[in-house]
Amino acid sequence: MNPYFLLHQTLCGAIAAAGFGVLFNIGFRSLPWCAASGAVALAVRTYCLGLGWNLEAASFAAALTVGAAVQVLRARTDISQNALDVVGCIPMVPGSFAAKAILGMFALTSASTMDASETLITAVQYALRVTFTIGAIGTGLAIPTLLLRVRVNR
Amino acid sequence: MDAIESLIPEDSGSTPALEPLAMVALDAGRLLMEAGASANSIDEIVAKVARGLGADRVDLRIGYASLAVTIGIGHSGITRMREVGHLGVNQRLDQELWHLADKVARGELTTAQTRAELTRLATKTPRHSAWVMAVAVGLACAAFGRLLGADWSSTGPVFLAAGIGQLVRRELLTRHVNVFICASIVSFLSSLLGGLGANWAGSTTITTAMIASILLLVPGVPSVNAQNDILEGHPTLGSARAVTVAVILIFAAAGLWLGQVLLANWH
Repeated sequence: MNPYFLLHQTLCGAIAAAGFGVLFNIGFRSLPWCAASGAVALAVRTYCLGLGWNLEAASFAAALTVGAAVQVLRARTDISQNALDVVGCIPMVPGSFAAKAILGMFALTSASTMDASETLITAVQYALRVTFTIGAIGTGLAIPTLLLRVRVNR
Repeated sequence: MDAIESLIPEDSGSTPALEPLAMVALDAGRLLMEAGASANSIDEIVAKVARGLGADRVDLRIGYASLAVTIGIGHSGITRMREVGHLGVNQRLDQELWHLADKVARGELTTAQTRAELTRLATKTPRHSAWVMAVAVGLACAAFGRLLGADWSSTGPVFLAAGIGQLVRRELLTRHVNVFICASIVSFLSSLLGGLGANWAGSTTITTAMIASILLLVPGVPSVNAQNDILEGHPTLGSARAVTVAVILIFAAAGLWLGQVLLANWH
């Protein structure tokens, strides 16, 4: 795998996660944790995609890693575990696929659609990828929480 | 006999402290829910506050738009319900609420003091300024664009379009515009600005830039919460959240579609 590409994806993941951290009203002192969470998520996902895994499997592995890391580190941060792992996985939420799936559905109703069956299949493929990827992220985050959850002072 | 069935309604006058206790516990849960917490966290904080204030038994029902709790002390009991407002995300409020719940659990606060603290947190918890949020969201969407494969020349326009979209969204939400309508308006504006800017900058990935410009609208926290809630035994709330996420995406896509149509006609 090209290390520069891995670094690029990791940095973009960190910036996106930190940006959403601000949107979620996380304090400036805690933003580095958000950036780290996003960086880990994108690094793992990019590495797994480089190994030939599909997007859903790579997203699952990344979410599992972030979820487990957040569980281990939660005592050191003052952010709720829920916020930290969600912020880290936000850059992996397939928003563009969702938009393409819905736009594809809109296109089906257009009178000028040339190949309706191809448009439909593409839209459904995008919709399924969105569903499976979000499912993979949610499951990946939930497993460490359910297995390792300890009631400590938050 | 079931413990709840044996409770005597508070109306009999046996335990006068139940009413304020129940309402304070519900308010703690309501504020946490409005700050973007999952069902298990809400359950946990209501139980923590109620038990810290002296409740023996706490049973909570979490709906999408309301919370209902039954509090029991000895043989007395009370059931109360509280409406829940717009579900946003506010991490600092979440954090402060947990600190408060810890204090209550240690027995450091009375019911009246807890109520005063909750009021203070709801009104005084600081938020980042609109400009800081706009810059942060712009940077996040520009990074999203790069992750999606947008070229470098489109990152500036995406940054500006998403930042302006965030400013407009905040203004609309302050004016209590419906969140779905707000998603459509912001999506239309941001995608159009992102597309026009990317075209002006000579980008070859205009469609990707338009999509990246509206990714501030992706409801990431509700979508993850929806799944968590279903996995943790709250399928009703989880399903309601999932439907809300789907409708927001549809409204956002409608705005994007309109932006694409206008841009295509422009050319």
